[in-house]
Amino acid sequence: MTELDANLIHVIDDDDAFRRSLVFLLESVGWQVVPHRSAEDFLQACPNQPPDLGCIVLDIRMPTMSGLELQQRLRGEGWTAAIVFITGHGDVELAVQAMKRGASDFLEKPFKDQALIDAVATAVRRASKDRADSARREQALARLARLSPREREVASRIARGLPNKQVARELDISEKTVHIHRQHVMEKTEVGSAAELAHLMLQADPRALD
Amino acid sequence: MRLKRIVPTPLRSACLLAALLILPAGLFAVVRQPLHIGVLAYLGEEVAEVEWAPMAKRLAIALPSHSVELVLLDHEGMRKRATEGRLDFIITNPGHYVELEAELGASRILTLDSDGGGNPAHAIGSAVITRTGRDDLTRLEDLRGRRVAVVSKEAFGGYQVVWREWQALGLAPDSALLELREVGFPMDRVFQAVRDGEVDAGIVRSCLLESRPELDGVFKVVGARPQEGYPCEVSTRLYPDWPIATLRHTPPALARQVAIALLALPAGENEPTWAVPADYQSVHELFRELQIGPYAYLRAPTLMALAERYWPVLAAMLTLLVGWVLYTVRVEHLIHIRTSALRDALAERDAIQERMRKDQEQADHLARLSVLGELSGTLAHELNQPLATIGNYAQSLVRRADAGRLTEAATREAAGEIAGQAERAAAILGRIRAFAKKRIGQREVREVAALVSEAIDLFRGMLAQAPEVELQDRLPPGRTIEVDGLQIQQVLLNLLKNGYDACRELPETRRKLIVMLEPYPAGIRIAVRDHGPGLAPAIRERLFEPFLTTKPDGLGLGLSICQTIAEAHGGRLSGEAASDGPGMIFTLVIPDHD
Repeated sequence: MTELDANLIHVIDDDDAFRRSLVFLLESVGWQVVPHRSAEDFLQACPNQPPDLGCIVLDIRMPTMSGLELQQRLRGEGWTAAIVFITGHGDVELAVQAMKRGASDFLEKPFKDQALIDAVATAVRRASKDRADSARREQALARLARLSPREREVASRIARGLPNKQVARELDISEKTVHIHRQHVMEKTEVGSAAELAHLMLQADPRALD
Repeated sequence: MRLKRIVPTPLRSACLLAALLILPAGLFAVVRQPLHIGVLAYLGEEVAEVEWAPMAKRLAIALPSHSVELVLLDHEGMRKRATEGRLDFIITNPGHYVELEAELGASRILTLDSDGGGNPAHAIGSAVITRTGRDDLTRLEDLRGRRVAVVSKEAFGGYQVVWREWQALGLAPDSALLELREVGFPMDRVFQAVRDGEVDAGIVRSCLLESRPELDGVFKVVGARPQEGYPCEVSTRLYPDWPIATLRHTPPALARQVAIALLALPAGENEPTWAVPADYQSVHELFRELQIGPYAYLRAPTLMALAERYWPVLAAMLTLLVGWVLYTVRVEHLIHIRTSALRDALAERDAIQERMRKDQEQADHLARLSVLGELSGTLAHELNQPLATIGNYAQSLVRRADAGRLTEAATREAAGEIAGQAERAAAILGRIRAFAKKRIGQREVREVAALVSEAIDLFRGMLAQAPEVELQDRLPPGRTIEVDGLQIQQVLLNLLKNGYDACRELPETRRKLIVMLEPYPAGIRIAVRDHGPGLAPAIRERLFEPFLTTKPDGLGLGLSICQTIAEAHGGRLSGEAASDGPGMIFTLVIPDHD
């Protein structure tokens, strides 16, 4: 249940009874739920994206700041949070708009309990993966940052699988120097092979070897 | 040569003088009658004077009772004077003579015998000349497409004689020649034009070339033909020499006297001598062939001749006519197009306005009518909230119970919420019923048929592909009822829409709806019948329950509200399967209002 513990579900809906029912339902399957009466309340509670944010369940229509507006604002501030929208009758167009802007899912009221639970689970998984990817990228970048500019040139060629001889020719240095650089690269980035190095570079930047 | 002849010599003058002097003195006492001889001065009066004065003098001697006067004239002048009776004789060229013969009754008495002993009947012809060395021009027909100079187109020996030859060869000068240039008298200008290369050839009278030794070798005669006994090269047939002729009023005795006198004139060298009148038939033939002079009438009136003569004008007129016709047709066409475009545009505008008006009317009507319309949007949203909430709690309870984690507190919380939301939903429905009921009471007397027709029109207007709706009216004409018209139409719209929805997937023949109006004890009956698949008995029993629906997007409130309306009117609404074939019949009974 680490997934459930590490990921808080924030529910934002202006209808008190319905919001309570959402909390009741999500808690039934073990999620930790934080209810908010409005988008403004949510922003006050979470000025920055909380590290334990699993996903946001968001009513699309609310009196002051609408769900769409909140989505827009969070995106603008660089939040990566997954959002599951809940729409009332006839709000499908709005929902489509929300999906185009990167919403994880949308549900039309009334919905089956399983639909909401699945949508939240998917969103949370996506958020976890994003978080993990992001952490890995940070780590990889940190390891690669230890290299000197020359070592970085050598590293990218090694990662592409070029033999020392060719690296030497391309950089106009002796093969022996390449050999020394290579050893430094491996030590600094803590990798044991050219393949591992390539993997690391791709983690840092998926287009590193294009 | 005439020019040679007319040169007076001192000797001749002396003789004449002597002749005059020896006349008997007594004769001079007689009053002489004037005798006017008109002479064609085709080379100018001076030349003519020189040429003819000697003859006149000798004639005067021969005719002591007359005073002879030469009148030197051009063609027109001679014609005019002769017409006025102011000439007794005329001396002119054969062509002109023949013309006047026809016009004024001129009658030749003698023909000039230029060569004194030659053949006066074959004295005049024409020579077509070109520069020596023009080997491409040897025959008269070689002049086709060339430039030719003449003194005048009216000239007999200077043009018309050659014209006849060309015509005989099938060459029409007006069209076949590149140019027929009139250079005017004297004829020397023709030589000049040919020599200067302005033209390819020229036409001069026969023997004129031979009389000019200085031109020897410069020119040659085109199409020269041998003429026995003729001293010059000639390109044409020969015609008689000039005649002297009387006119109608000339006394025959005088004519005889003059003829005798002239014949008696001594034939001296270079003197004009006269011979018996020649046959001028050949001149007639020429004119007839060319259809000129006295034979111009031959040319006049045939349509073909006119067309040939005036073809450029005709062509121009025809072109103008065709152009005008085309223009007119085009303008008509454009007018037609523009008119119809305009008409279409106007019709379209009218149609749009009409549609807008209808749409507006319909919108107004529906706005007033549509209980459901007013409800559906907000109602659906409002009902959604309690329904979704109830669903969530109920499902959560099941889920927790399944997981064995259902606590009493949770059950109590959920049940309380569910009850609360049920009340919330009931309150919403209560508002609807109250709303529907509130609308009743605005009763008005309406003609049933009109009320129903209006509802049918409204229904058809709402749909893009409206089905056929047949109205079977079995009510007495003009049957009225006192109802809230809008409400009753609302019910009818609902029933029609249900019927339409039931048959939407069916072939067109089964989509027809029938509305029947029938009398009912103390009221009327309106039935709406469709030919759809009908409803299952289980559904049929619960037709008017709220939220019961067979439509994917239906709310299940339509018939419920309709029934409320019917009841508010003291009537009822019922539905049953049709006895004759598939489909449902919904019947609205409305009693007369007290």
